[in-house]
Amino acid sequence: MDKILLYPVFVPLAVGFVLLFLPRSLRLASKTATLVISIVSFVQAVRIFGLNEASYAWSILTLGDFRLDLLLTAQPLGAFILLFAMGFGVLITLYSLASKAQIHRINEYYGAILLAIGGSAGILLSNHLLFLLIFWEIVTASLYILVSTGGKDSNFAATKSFAMIGVSDAGLLLGIGMVWTLSGTFAISNISLPTTTALPIVAFLLLMLAAITKAGAMPLHTWVPTSGQYAPASVMALLPAALDKLLGIYLLVLIVTRLFVLAHGPLTIVLAIIGAATIVIAVMIAMVQHNLKRLLSYHAVSQVGYMILGIATLTPIGIAGGIFHMLNNAIYKSCLFLCGGAVEEATGTAELDELGGLGRKMPLTFLACMIAALSISGVPPFNGFASKWMVYQGVVQMGRTPDAAGVGLWPIWLVAAMFGSALTLASFVKILHSIFLSRLPDRLQATKEVSFLQVLPMLVLAALCVFFGVFYRVPLQRFIFPALAAGEGAEIAVGSWNSVLATALLLIGVGIGFGVLAVGMYAKQTRIVPTWTCGEIQPNDEMIIPGTHFYKTVSSLGGLKQMYTGQERGYFDTYNHGGKMGFVVTGLLRWLHSGILPAYLTWVTLGLLLVVFALCRIW
Amino acid sequence: MSVPLPVFVAIPLVAAFVLPVLGKGLKPIATLLANLVTIALLILAVTSIGDSRTYEVGDWSIPLGINLVLDGLSSLLLLAISVVSTAAMLFSIRYMEQYTAKPKYLSLFLLMVAGMNGVVLSGDVFNLYVFLEIASIASYALVGFGCEHEELEASFKYMVLGSIASTFILFGVAMVYANTGSLNMAYISRAVQAMGMNAGLAFALSLFVAGFGLKAALVPFHAWLPDAHPSAPAPISAMLSGVLIKALGVYALARLVFNVFGVSLEVGWVLVALGLASMVAGAFLALGQWDFKRLLAYSSISQIGYVVLGVGLGAVILARETNIAWASLAILGGLFHLLNHSVYKSLLFLTSGSVEMATGTRQMTEMGGLAARMPVTRAACAVASASIAGVPPFPGFWSKLILVLAAVQAQMYWVAAVIVVVSVCTLIMYLKVHRFVFLGELPERLASVRESWGSMTAAMVGLTCVCALMGLLVLVPSLRVGILDPAVSVLTDGLAYSTRLISP
Repeated sequence: MDKILLYPVFVPLAVGFVLLFLPRSLRLASKTATLVISIVSFVQAVRIFGLNEASYAWSILTLGDFRLDLLLTAQPLGAFILLFAMGFGVLITLYSLASKAQIHRINEYYGAILLAIGGSAGILLSNHLLFLLIFWEIVTASLYILVSTGGKDSNFAATKSFAMIGVSDAGLLLGIGMVWTLSGTFAISNISLPTTTALPIVAFLLLMLAAITKAGAMPLHTWVPTSGQYAPASVMALLPAALDKLLGIYLLVLIVTRLFVLAHGPLTIVLAIIGAATIVIAVMIAMVQHNLKRLLSYHAVSQVGYMILGIATLTPIGIAGGIFHMLNNAIYKSCLFLCGGAVEEATGTAELDELGGLGRKMPLTFLACMIAALSISGVPPFNGFASKWMVYQGVVQMGRTPDAAGVGLWPIWLVAAMFGSALTLASFVKILHSIFLSRLPDRLQATKEVSFLQVLPMLVLAALCVFFGVFYRVPLQRFIFPALAAGEGAEIAVGSWNSVLATALLLIGVGIGFGVLAVGMYAKQTRIVPTWTCGEIQPNDEMIIPGTHFYKTVSSLGGLKQMYTGQERGYFDTYNHGGKMGFVVTGLLRWLHSGILPAYLTWVTLGLLLVVFALCRIW
Repeated sequence: MSVPLPVFVAIPLVAAFVLPVLGKGLKPIATLLANLVTIALLILAVTSIGDSRTYEVGDWSIPLGINLVLDGLSSLLLLAISVVSTAAMLFSIRYMEQYTAKPKYLSLFLLMVAGMNGVVLSGDVFNLYVFLEIASIASYALVGFGCEHEELEASFKYMVLGSIASTFILFGVAMVYANTGSLNMAYISRAVQAMGMNAGLAFALSLFVAGFGLKAALVPFHAWLPDAHPSAPAPISAMLSGVLIKALGVYALARLVFNVFGVSLEVGWVLVALGLASMVAGAFLALGQWDFKRLLAYSSISQIGYVVLGVGLGAVILARETNIAWASLAILGGLFHLLNHSVYKSLLFLTSGSVEMATGTRQMTEMGGLAARMPVTRAACAVASASIAGVPPFPGFWSKLILVLAAVQAQMYWVAAVIVVVSVCTLIMYLKVHRFVFLGELPERLASVRESWGSMTAAMVGLTCVCALMGLLVLVPSLRVGILDPAVSVLTDGLAYSTRLISP
């Protein structure tokens, strides 16, 4: 009975729930409470991580065969994700405290942050499927509240997010029910279902749908870009970028490695298709976006593909790579959203067309953003490369698995993953150019770096990006291999990539580059003058090469053009299609409800007749 | 404290006749009196929990006399009725100031309460019919209380369809009497057990299913509800959707099917089919609504479907004689959902009344951004919506969870799938409510909107607290054993009802 497991779950949940209902005048109290509790939760998470095997059990309800017990267990996988989840909680709280971005209903915002923290802790520690479901939905609800605190149209984004995740949550409930009847228990550690008959396969697909929707993979991904555009950036950094990824992938790992016994076959192919399609399609869409937050959101979708693909390989290195990528992605994507938020706050816009040349005005944000951008693009020696590299290796290794169905498709997955990585780089070149390099529009001359409390989380995350990239063995040995029950000695071969040497060489290369630049500057005495044409000095604003034009050619290619237009109009949005189908059913039913009394009387008569037929056994 | 059972009917009935006598000048006293009556009934209902007794009117023993029976199921319903009527009455203090003739309103309100209490306590079918008529006629009048064109039309439709249901029921009572020679439920039950179901009894049961199904607003007997519930004043909508359809419809149906006629596969499947049809049709119709109260009304159809589905599943499982524990789980889910729905739907109707009073409209397209202006209403609506949409840890989640688990346990995976699909629809419809009513931009027209403090907020806050804590009813063993389990076992015991009342 380790009561310590209760604290990071129930203290934030209880306090967060109370904060939701506080009047505006008590906002200082809610800020303080959130900061204190997020820090305390982080400290508890560190202690839980230090414990070897901790568990807590409390029997709540027994109804016939149905037992509801609060089972909390600190398992290596959950405990290490918990550590990072709580860390994100602290960083985002710090950022939010200093943020001047307009957040409506401030107490609800902080209350929902605590709900998200507590709910995540609950998911990661829960060893009972129903409690996992409960905490899962609490996190969904907190996302709804957080998104709705944004500005105009955030109510639409919040509704869409909750509706789409709600669909997958309903699937989760049904799937859990099926797992329960099939295995007779809710205790995660006692379940191991073979996926050979129809029912477990349906259950697997339902649970998988919930996992990938939360993580933001296709086909139910469109809530991410929509909320990305309208929600506060800090919200995106906390939930869709960090916690939702951690939780979704955690559940996916759980069902693939624990709850179900999976073999190479149709199910893994489905997973791999989802992974590969998500990588490529989302990044193609991301490339042509003009809104910074929307663009980042599409990358948040795209990156999930790597994690799913890694897990779908079913090879140790692939799964380890998927989990590592989940961690890395949470770090750099959260950092990117915070940078995006900082830029938006400092300039008042997130439209790439209106930004430029901020590198000098916001050097720290630029630095953090650049590191994170290089990480997400998979440039060595940053962390994104390390994990993508493992995923590639997993895919290749899967191809070598003897006598397994569908592994021959590995070249497709590999090409998709590498292609996606290249496009990601292309798209971040565009971001860095349009925001930080390019030319500073006159309107933004007075821009200043955001406050220290906001820069700090970005820098911490950027430092983690570098650290996890250069010394990638540390997180692997410390967190990920134990989580996969690969013992201390069991080394999963991570290629022959010597990161430290490579980093040193890279640094030397960059140093030489700067040297050349410096020599050139001094030797030639570069002169910088305003642009002069047609006898006039051209205003700065017109002499900009807008980053948004970088990939215009891609979007006007035959075939792709139609896809892009269709995408912009929402033809591929499952939310719209679901809505339309609902309208058809509703329209039909409304047509039946004409409001004419005789028609209703006819129904009653017909209904009575049917009941008589059934009950008097007239057949 | 053990009061004679007729008190539950007598107090509101007497008060209902006294109130209209009090003239205009005594309106505050009338209001106070009416509130005291509902509070007294609440106290009585709470103290009668766990009690199980009968009362023979005038000491005439059955089957010659009339008896009132209090058991687990009745006290569950009494509790729901008294909680909702207390809150609705409190809400009315302020809300009904908009209308004239408040004492008449209070009198009709109490008459309806008396009728409902009578229905759930009555031990014979004819008195059940009489009390049902009292409650129904009071509700016809209350629906048309505003006397506007739309309200009178709704009231008229309700009255026509309601009278047809009453006719069905009365006809069914006559058929039962013709076949068994008794009107007392216990004696009918004994006769049914002795002679088995014949065609006449089966026809009577069909009439009951259709009649009570209409009172419960099950599809296809539901057409009156979407007009009637939104047209009534908000506290009455809360009463109608919160308890009337359950006391008059679901309770009576369950009592007759389980305790009087005995479950069979046919009737179980009929209930399941009616429940599923109501769930699906109600949910999709609600999704398309832009009128706040009308959306809530359609959602009531959908939610009552859950209750009937739970009870029907229980009947099917009992009739299959597979596992009584599975049947208990299904019935527990249904009855807990009944209790939950009575609280959160009445709360939702109260918030809709508060919004309507503040903004002067029921059209959601004309609202927006009320979260900042009406924080209490918004919080109450949020808790109730979270509960009805099944967001944990609110009670609606638990009842839906139990229903889903009962369905998968009985290997009826498709039923479980329908339950979760409808649950998603419910979620989306309440997201829609919040998106258009409480979030978004405040229209200029509503810039001066204010919360209506006082009795209305008190009623909403009270119900919100009840709603937030109701999950404990199923989670805390002592509460469950005290309140829900006796109600479940009344139904699972089935025909043992008669042996309990008649000493052999």
